[in-house]
Amino acid sequence: MEFLEAVGKRRSVRWFKTWEPVPMEKVQRILEVVRMTTCPGNLQPWRVVVVERDKLDSKVRDQLLACDNWQGAHTQAPVWIYFYADPEGARPEVFANRTKELVGVGALPAAFGWSSQAIDNAIFQGESMPAGMPAINELLHGLPYETSANVAYAETVGACAVATLAAVNEGLGACLHMIAAPSKQEEVKRLLGVPAHFVPVWQLLIGYPAEDPDAGGMRPRLPFEQTFSYQQWGEPFPRDQQVVAELEAEGLPQPTGEPKPHRFDELRYLARMFGYPV
Amino acid sequence: MSATEGRQGQGPTDIRAYRSIQLWIDTVDNMYHLSEAEWEGRLQLVQQFCEAEGKDPDEIIAEARSDRAEKIDYMRHLKRFVKTLTPNPMLAHDYENVVRSFFINNGARVVTKPYPDVYNRTE
Repeated sequence: MEFLEAVGKRRSVRWFKTWEPVPMEKVQRILEVVRMTTCPGNLQPWRVVVVERDKLDSKVRDQLLACDNWQGAHTQAPVWIYFYADPEGARPEVFANRTKELVGVGALPAAFGWSSQAIDNAIFQGESMPAGMPAINELLHGLPYETSANVAYAETVGACAVATLAAVNEGLGACLHMIAAPSKQEEVKRLLGVPAHFVPVWQLLIGYPAEDPDAGGMRPRLPFEQTFSYQQWGEPFPRDQQVVAELEAEGLPQPTGEPKPHRFDELRYLARMFGYPV
Repeated sequence: MSATEGRQGQGPTDIRAYRSIQLWIDTVDNMYHLSEAEWEGRLQLVQQFCEAEGKDPDEIIAEARSDRAEKIDYMRHLKRFVKTLTPNPMLAHDYENVVRSFFINNGARVVTKPYPDVYNRTE
């Protein structure tokens, strides 16, 4: 699948063929893609637990579902991928080690001023970085643990977005969900054996869609001009309709603001099939 | 017999006058356009539930939406109620869903679950 097609076809799928398992090969392909996700400092602070619903102990399964308020998509999806962020993976010493690796593989060029010594000086001594370099001394020297948690969280969110597109690329339906109600996050960690200091991010529910994969059509989006500025905030980026038309032809549909015809009939029959109220 | 058609009992004519019932019908029909026959069955069921509770539909919704800690757990009552209608668990689930729909579309907090075999595949 081409990139634009994957982005254009992706919907949050909330009705899954609960009876059709997802081959673990497909899950592995998603994880292999996540492993390659872009990440500042190459920290890779995401930690993931893959759960096959039908291989869970029934009591544990019900507890996990109850922690998520028995959300419809969660009960139906055959595979639940829990994403956590490890703050320990975004501590200054990890930054130092990872960025030194990047110097070693030629990603961070000495031409810009990168060196192992400069990294150590900035992160551990707080020495300012010369012009041409990021001010990592300000970011990382004496980095509070909460900021590490925020950084790890932010990077893991990015990994979740890539995982979602990777699932679409595999022909699967996918939906990012809260892992659990905030008051139940600790219980989910206990059930999954996740270390207490991990920060819950999202769970990616995957399976084969029981609804039309288009799921009623492209969701409404904020106006382009409201979202993207040019040169300074408030000056809308000039939008060329020719570009819009080209992207649409390449697989990136535009929102219509309306559900597709018969969408509510589809929802009604899906609800009846699975036993939900209408 | 489906959950919403052909049930025996008194007709639902009066119950349509309640504000909560009107809101339910309007909200659901705005999306799903149910047939009159289906509404007849649904209304009859909700009316029976209300009679079992000894309250009118608006009173039940007002209580279900209240913030009082001791507010009535209508979903527990509902489970008991449908068992008086049928021993068939799937049909009972369908009956529960009709009343749940009434609650949901009036803004009352209701946890919904699918048929157990949707997720309960290891037992």
